[in-house]
Amino acid sequence: MLTIKNLHAEVEEKQILKGINLSVNAGEVHAIMGPNGSGKSSLASVLAGRENYQVTQGEVIFKGLNLLDMNPEVRAREGVFLAFQYPIEIPGVSNINFLKTALAEIRAHKGLPPLDAKEFLKMSREKQKLVEFDAQLVNRSLNEGFSGGEKKRNEIFQLAMLEPALSILDETDSGLDIDALRIVSKGVNKLRSENNAFIIITHYQRLLEYIVPDFVHVLYDGRIVKSGTKELALELEEKGYDWLKEDAREKATTI
Amino acid sequence: MSMTSSPSIPLFEEVVNGFHKLSVSGGTQQESSDLRRTRQQAFDKFRELGFPSIRHEDWRYTNLARFLKDEFTIEGWEVSGKAVLPDAALLKKAEIASLDCYQVVLVNGVWDGKVTGGTLPGNIRLLKVAEARQDPALSLYFEKQAGWSEHFANLNGALFSDGLFIRVDAGATIEKPLHVVHVYTSENNLLVQPRNVWVIHRNAELSVIETLVSGGEAKIWVNGLTEILVHADARFHHTMLQTAGAGVRLVQQTTVHQQRQSLYNNFTITLPGADLVRNDLQTRLEEDHTETHLYGLYLAAGSQLVDNHTLVDHQKPHCLSNELYKGVLLEQSTGVFNGKVYVHQDAQKTNAFQQNNNLVISKKATIDSKPQLEIFADDVKCSHGSTVGQFSEEALFYLRARGIGEEAAKGLLINAFAFDVTEKIRIPEVEAHVNELISLHIPVNHA
Amino acid sequence: MPNDNEIIDNIANKEYEFGFVTDIEMDILPAGLNENTIRYISEKKKEPEWLLEWRLKGFLAFQKQKLPEWQNFELPPIDFQKISYYAAPRNKKKYNSLDEVDPELLATFEKLGIPLSEQKALTGVAVDAVFDSISIATTYKDKLKELGIIFCSFGEAVQEHPELVRKYVGSVVPHSDNIFAALNAAVFSDGSFVYIPKGVRCPMELSTYFRINTENTGQFERTLIIADEGSYVSYLEGCTAPTRDENQLHAAVVELIALENAEIKYSTVQNWYPGDKDGKGGIYNFVTKRGICKGANAKISWTQVETGSAITWKYPSVILQGDNSTGEFYSVAVTRNRQIADTGTKMYHIGRNTRSRIISKGISAGHGNNSYRGLVQIGPKADDARNFTQCDSLLIGDQCGAHTFPYIESKNNTATVEHEATTSKIGEDQIFYLNQRGIDSEKAVALIINGYAKEVLNQLPMEFAVEAQKLLSITLEGSVG
Repeated sequence: MLTIKNLHAEVEEKQILKGINLSVNAGEVHAIMGPNGSGKSSLASVLAGRENYQVTQGEVIFKGLNLLDMNPEVRAREGVFLAFQYPIEIPGVSNINFLKTALAEIRAHKGLPPLDAKEFLKMSREKQKLVEFDAQLVNRSLNEGFSGGEKKRNEIFQLAMLEPALSILDETDSGLDIDALRIVSKGVNKLRSENNAFIIITHYQRLLEYIVPDFVHVLYDGRIVKSGTKELALELEEKGYDWLKEDAREKATTI
Repeated sequence: MSMTSSPSIPLFEEVVNGFHKLSVSGGTQQESSDLRRTRQQAFDKFRELGFPSIRHEDWRYTNLARFLKDEFTIEGWEVSGKAVLPDAALLKKAEIASLDCYQVVLVNGVWDGKVTGGTLPGNIRLLKVAEARQDPALSLYFEKQAGWSEHFANLNGALFSDGLFIRVDAGATIEKPLHVVHVYTSENNLLVQPRNVWVIHRNAELSVIETLVSGGEAKIWVNGLTEILVHADARFHHTMLQTAGAGVRLVQQTTVHQQRQSLYNNFTITLPGADLVRNDLQTRLEEDHTETHLYGLYLAAGSQLVDNHTLVDHQKPHCLSNELYKGVLLEQSTGVFNGKVYVHQDAQKTNAFQQNNNLVISKKATIDSKPQLEIFADDVKCSHGSTVGQFSEEALFYLRARGIGEEAAKGLLINAFAFDVTEKIRIPEVEAHVNELISLHIPVNHA
Repeated sequence: MPNDNEIIDNIANKEYEFGFVTDIEMDILPAGLNENTIRYISEKKKEPEWLLEWRLKGFLAFQKQKLPEWQNFELPPIDFQKISYYAAPRNKKKYNSLDEVDPELLATFEKLGIPLSEQKALTGVAVDAVFDSISIATTYKDKLKELGIIFCSFGEAVQEHPELVRKYVGSVVPHSDNIFAALNAAVFSDGSFVYIPKGVRCPMELSTYFRINTENTGQFERTLIIADEGSYVSYLEGCTAPTRDENQLHAAVVELIALENAEIKYSTVQNWYPGDKDGKGGIYNFVTKRGICKGANAKISWTQVETGSAITWKYPSVILQGDNSTGEFYSVAVTRNRQIADTGTKMYHIGRNTRSRIISKGISAGHGNNSYRGLVQIGPKADDARNFTQCDSLLIGDQCGAHTFPYIESKNNTATVEHEATTSKIGEDQIFYLNQRGIDSEKAVALIINGYAKEVLNQLPMEFAVEAQKLLSITLEGSVG
């Protein structure tokens, strides 16, 4: 579904990603871990098309298409969903109206007519239930006055509504208490299927207890320095990142 | 077009006649031809503009008519300015308790050349402006004045006498603050026009405290003009304590030019006393990454009129300005605040904040507040706020319920109101001094 | 994503929807302004002597005044002699029923979304349609008459209710108030007149739709609304004009009078022709709107959505004379291309315990300039007066400007005045967030703008809130920062 080849990117002329290679197939969950500043969130931003990131080398193929050639909204319509680390507040724009618009755009992109009000409402109710999202919040302004946990749950609710092919969860676990974490994870697990894929970016192994990944990658200094299965996450939990840093440094000097 | 009212203003006549006399037979003869030319240009401009009336937007709330009725003389005007010894009792008024500082005293704008409080380090130079004309930093400003559109700046340009020139060398940090005491005193009604030029060179740092005091029965019109240049990476802390007494009409223009990454802090504290105080504080952010903080506190009483006009002129990107002016209006005083923030099209990434809060204590007091934002760049964060109000009933009640008398409680609340400004004064002795000055004038004293 | 240049082009190329011209035979007074012009208009309208005299006084005042100079831009000179001051569809003295109205005219209003036949009309909205200098038709007139409500053209009111007109005209905006008000007093052609009797709550929205059609004419309408004790009315005006290269002048006057316990809600959706992308053509919209809360507990509320006109000067104001009276001003003003909007309000607190609330949202795009200019004045007797002002400016693109000039004058120490203003760029991260959810930048801007303006749009009568929202989106189409 997604193939990242030798991806280099910079922000404000500073190299952030220094050659990422990653392949994600439908039905897979990939976890990307790494210490602060290793480039995890940058990778998410580059995939979603945030403008201040310049791709300097490499390519990203999504469903056979060149992802990097697309506008952020086109990427979204093609099925790339970013659950933001810091969801923005937009006063005066109601959550529901915003979702209705987004869904209609995505459907139009697929050549489908917009859902009528009744269908939309029905879908919205189902998905709210699925991800345990408070109906009250649905009718408020987008993220305005939401707590940190509410904002993250709203991200997952949107994920449920928009049914993307590839979901990138950027530190969705940060700032969540254990109950919220459980609810968010449960939502994600229910949404997992053979047709979609997830990239879960996290600093801690904690989230991976709830959402079990098929693959774990460690990002350090803009490169994936180690890949493995879910056991790698446990190893990291135990040993920290330092041993990998050493590893990476050695590799760098020998090259 | 000449102001219809100006020719009938005695001071206007005095200035016109005086200028002719001085330029034909008197003092300006000994000056350079360049300076004489700029004086003439400024004079021509002033004669054309006259004194401002309330029809001028910048003077709509400050009617000068009642202050301009009196006759003033420019008698004794001299290019070099002869120093007069200050009166000891007047000097005492300006004293800031336990402050370790260098001190200079200017009487009617003229400095006697003495510095007290220790020997100045070699990397700071003080001169009488009249004697500093050879300094390149000074001449830079004297050339520019002809372009002014303001009434009083031109009046000063035409007939300024003397003032203080300060130069701090690059890289110098002057540890002790410099206290500049302005004494105004005269037997007869007088127009005094001091002109100061202060230049802080690259990466230098200086703190100046100016105190204004006055004595005598005569009315004194002070039309002061100070030009300040803060070079790249330099830091200048500037406090003005306007404590002049009745009879003084003060119009003070201060123009600050800031270069790259420089810092300018200004505290303008005005207390009851002078009949009229009009401050025009203009900060021109001429290069990027500058930082500017303007704090004002005005406590007006009697029939005093205190008018603060500020301009923060964001010309270049990445500059930060922050402005907080607080006013307390007692008795039948009038307060005016006009704060303009101008952001040029080039000045992207500007952060500009401005706040004006007013506490109107007396039934007969008036406040006119006019904050202005004029913005031509899009990637900016700018805000302003202005409030007019009185004591919070709840706070007053709470204090009284703890046994504090009403007047004392009000005094406490005024102090609390002023605290936002006074706490920002970085020199503890000056902060204590300002608090002392406030407490001399607020009801808590009479409780 | 499109780059900034494309975006600016997009905005510029968006065409004005209502720019068509109606081809109909007109009676047009030749251009020029002198005493005879005024006598002609007055005679044409069969006005009583006192009104003619009042007009002539206005003309005298007009001649004495100069164009204002306080704005932060240069006003191009206006040649008042090149304007025609009267234009009316030919052949009709007065329409007794819609059947007599030229079908071309009915079609025009239908095209503008204002059907005049009551079968087709919006339910719950009575409309007075003004075409150039005269009122074409007023719907639901009879139904309103049953309640004692008078809703008719100004000209008709002069004939049928001269005592009311004489008592109140010029009582809030005097004939000499300012140069454009004086000009209006001299040459006003028509407009709407509303009287709501004591204790009556007007059951439907009253609305006037203004259309400038003829070339080189100005429109000078005058609206007078009187809400008698304890009554309520909600009134809405809308306006459009054809696309032309010449600037046309619109200098209207609106006077509102709310007596004790009465409430007037006045809403405007202003969409005059704004000129082209280079600033050629467009309406000069110089309007004087003022209301007075004459009695205790009266309330006047102004709401405006301003998207049109080359230059707008408008400061709908409230004189809060009655104790406990309330004045409100809600405004959204959008400028793009070379448009200039200089708008705001004046709240004069005279009575005790008076309240005012000002919410102003300016949006500047392209080379547009938006200024808020407002006055809050607290008189010495206005004990416990309160004001709250919030004015926000949003900038889209780096060629536009946003300016805020609030004046606060307080002569009473029991007053509380709060003013807040912010200026910022449209949030790039907000747009990106919406992009990421599949919404393109154009729609994202529209969503954000509508959210930003919501507090004001919510004040509009429901029937028009949706229209206004659409108008905002269309106006800013393509304007991505």
